[in-house]
Amino acid sequence: MDIFTIILWIITGTWFIWSIIKDKKRTLNSIKMSGGMMKNMIGEIIGILFLIGLILTFIPPDTIKRYMGQSNTLISTIVSAFIGSITLIPAFVAFPLVGSLVNAGANIVPVVAFLTTLTMVGIVTFPLEKREFGLRFTTARNSLSFIFAIIIALLMGAVM
Amino acid sequence: MNAIRVKLKNNMFLTLVITTYIVLGILMPSKAIQSLNNSLYYIKEMLIIMPVILILTSLIEAWVPKKSIEKALGEDSGFKGSVFSFLLGSFSAGPIYAAFPVCKMLLKKGASVSNIVVMLSTWAVIKIPMLVNEAKFLGPKFMAIRWVLTTISIFIMAYITSRLVKKEDIQMDDILTNEEELMLNINEQYCIGCGLCTKISSETFVMENKKAKIIIEISKLEENENIKTAIDKCPAKAIGYKK
Repeated sequence: MDIFTIILWIITGTWFIWSIIKDKKRTLNSIKMSGGMMKNMIGEIIGILFLIGLILTFIPPDTIKRYMGQSNTLISTIVSAFIGSITLIPAFVAFPLVGSLVNAGANIVPVVAFLTTLTMVGIVTFPLEKREFGLRFTTARNSLSFIFAIIIALLMGAVM
Repeated sequence: MNAIRVKLKNNMFLTLVITTYIVLGILMPSKAIQSLNNSLYYIKEMLIIMPVILILTSLIEAWVPKKSIEKALGEDSGFKGSVFSFLLGSFSAGPIYAAFPVCKMLLKKGASVSNIVVMLSTWAVIKIPMLVNEAKFLGPKFMAIRWVLTTISIFIMAYITSRLVKKEDIQMDDILTNEEELMLNINEQYCIGCGLCTKISSETFVMENKKAKIIIEISKLEENENIKTAIDKCPAKAIGYKK
């Protein structure tokens, strides 16, 4: 558990205890309500998490590394951005992976595109986001994020 | 049998993934086990974060007044509101899907679309432990430049999204409203004046000028069996709850 998760637990826990003491009925009533919303999400979340496991088996980090290191920058940038969109790799795996690539002299443009879409664009979480915020919002946010990831990558390439 | 079918239909995505695993388990058992092992990390992460998100969302619903959220994160919160959303997102924990319930609740309570985009994006991208990690493996300069560019992009994206998507485009029905806020209500235009509800629940309904009326204000919390029956039996479906 990282420190931020622990802090979140502590703050929420304290607030929760205060809430129970102040108005038990109101607290439990709200939990029942949010619980209803979460119940709808949970099946989908579990599906997504198992899907990520599958994706990682068939597109392992080593393959990703190979695509990012390709010589044609334009193609490798777009491919990397796309791979970043469909995968959800934890930061402690992603950073050492691209770090070794950059240290070996690879172009940083595809690397940045991958790192940015990795967290900002979620194709696997798309259905979940759509359910909560609607198709219009989800499409707008994810496609804008994809475009901006490429812009950020190109700017990084120019600056560094 | 029917119940199972409905369950499967509601969880079509999960069913699809499970089926893939079963097929894979038969054809390539080692790949299936590897995938399961890969998923384990994410499942653990979810179990740590989702209970606290559930409680947090409930507490926001119960205690934070709509007015304060509208003021801090609403349409008129301006630049200050965006910075506030940015900070909230930066100091959050957990993967992006953990942000969905919290952001949805804030949206329902009056936060603006652009601030929700800021919060969702920072929640996903900008995390202090991640920045530390990035600086370690790719150098502080790399990390700092990417952070600046990402931050600028997030604000631009938020602006564009708020022009493209209006709040009305986002469905809010699935979040149940607090039962205290829902009041029993008769739609007078639908009411045909049959008087059935007054017979089922005479302590709640009364006839007045050939239309049914509610005697005292009743919230969803105080609903009893008679009221439920009256809602069900009303031939014009004129009785319901309204905010």
